[in-house]
Amino acid sequence: MSEVRVLAFDTATDDTVVASIDGDRVAFERTVPPEGRPLHSQALLSLASEAADALGGWDGVERIAVGIGPGTFTGIRIGVATAAGLAASTGIPVTGISTLAALARSIGEAAGTGPVMPLLDARRGEVFGGLHDAAGAPMGAPFVCGPEELMRQLGSREGVVPLVAGPGAVRFRDELLRAGFETEPDGSSVHRLAGRPVCELGAMAEKTGPATLEPLYLRIPDAQLWLERDGNSPDANRN
Amino acid sequence: MPLLAIETSCDDTCAAVLDGAAVLSNVISSQVDHARYGGVVPEVASRHHLELAIPVLDAALAEAGTGLGEIDSVAVTAGPGLIGALLVGLSTAKAIAAPRELPLIPTDHLHGHVAANFLEPDPLEPPFLCLIASGGHTLLAGVTDHRGFEVLGETLDDAAGEAIDKAARMLGLGFPGGPELERLAATGDPGAFSFPVAMSRDPGLDFSFSGLKTALVYICRDLGESETDDRRADLAAGFQAAVVDQLVTKLGRALDRGDWPAVALGGGVAANGPLRLAVGKLCEERGIHFKQVGRELCTDNAAMIGSAARFTDPLPYPQYLDFDAFATGPRGSR
Ligand SMILES: [Zn+2]
Repeated sequence: MSEVRVLAFDTATDDTVVASIDGDRVAFERTVPPEGRPLHSQALLSLASEAADALGGWDGVERIAVGIGPGTFTGIRIGVATAAGLAASTGIPVTGISTLAALARSIGEAAGTGPVMPLLDARRGEVFGGLHDAAGAPMGAPFVCGPEELMRQLGSREGVVPLVAGPGAVRFRDELLRAGFETEPDGSSVHRLAGRPVCELGAMAEKTGPATLEPLYLRIPDAQLWLERDGNSPDANRN
Repeated sequence: MPLLAIETSCDDTCAAVLDGAAVLSNVISSQVDHARYGGVVPEVASRHHLELAIPVLDAALAEAGTGLGEIDSVAVTAGPGLIGALLVGLSTAKAIAAPRELPLIPTDHLHGHVAANFLEPDPLEPPFLCLIASGGHTLLAGVTDHRGFEVLGETLDDAAGEAIDKAARMLGLGFPGGPELERLAATGDPGAFSFPVAMSRDPGLDFSFSGLKTALVYICRDLGESETDDRRADLAAGFQAAVVDQLVTKLGRALDRGDWPAVALGGGVAANGPLRLAVGKLCEERGIHFKQVGRELCTDNAAMIGSAARFTDPLPYPQYLDFDAFATGPRGSR
């Protein structure tokens, strides 16, 4: 790792997750849970400033890493816009990190060395997921799907059964159990994204720069979906 | 001592650099994608803002011949507007300002439309009456000092621009409907159809445009599809005249009630030719000054936000770190 002092945050889930590391030492790590709604817009920049202070101020930060999703669209944008603004203001290199990869690394750290299937609640009865190794490296493309397709994805893995965890696993615990997948109790910390893995993946990332900040929405806007599916737009048949 | 301003409340990604009342740069990146949807889609707008925010900001700095190192405060639209869109600009602005410990000036979008008139060249001094009409808002602002304005009247339902867009859509025109409706209306007879003179008997200064829209629906239904098609120009002319008539009637009534030496316009609808003509005529009759800023300062832009910021209390670092955007503003005085 060339740059060891990393500041990282993720606002793609309902938690505002912020941390900074100096090599192996965690200098700062804090999670602000939602209060009825996520507190990203209020909490993120204060925490990021504290995380920078823990490294001796912005001059002490060698890299900024940000979760690019998947997750809530507005949450992703608050995180990415903040990272881009900080990078533009300070000149510190910035890198985008998959929120699923960070969650996979969280899960892997807490529970084992085998493959991991981190699941985020995508709402509308769906999950965001993607197969990763225990260190957070992707072993397949991220996806969004309902429980049936998820079980098909999980079942197609012959041999090693991936460890399933995350807010999406809590959401679909019953469906997972019926398909033979166990997951930790609801309150277990294994289901929560932590800040340190985002820092660590940020430190290991090979690429930095604005291009890495492309959000990972995994869904197109509803309006575009309707337009493409039904042509249900006043202008659709005039193009 | 340049000020950087950012505006992302609707579908234009805007950044500007000001030195006092002088505009050093005013970059507006209009999102053309919304025409496909026939209106502004908040999620689509927010995605574009995120892509465009830093490039537009860089362009504004470059055009002004300055860099972030020389900027001494950052202004940003805090609301009202589309919340997801506002959050992109606000998050960017806060993150630009914080590491440099610059003050942040969260600004009211509507105050911005008023403050466009304070810019060089030829800044307008209060008191004046400002009619703000766009796709998102329609109100009469009584401006007695630089720091804010009093809402004398506002729309009770649709915004004027929203009504125009809907009418344009009914007549088979694209989005945004204003310019196309205006072009079509120029070839039609505004007296060919009678539209209700909405709110004109209401003694207040509030507006209402949903009745006009309903009237157009019924007229089109009675005419039938092919007849509607044949008479599009007359329908556009009649509808536009009714919108302009209501705006000007209320403006005249507000002038009756106060001692206003000048009138200004703001918002996308303010670019409408017939409206400008009618307001100009009204002002001439009354012997008062009609201030007209250029189109790029009428429609949403960041220079107007920077102008309003000059008369808004800045938040010193670190007071704004937890500052949040608001989708709708308080009614009444600001
Ligand atoms: Zn506006």
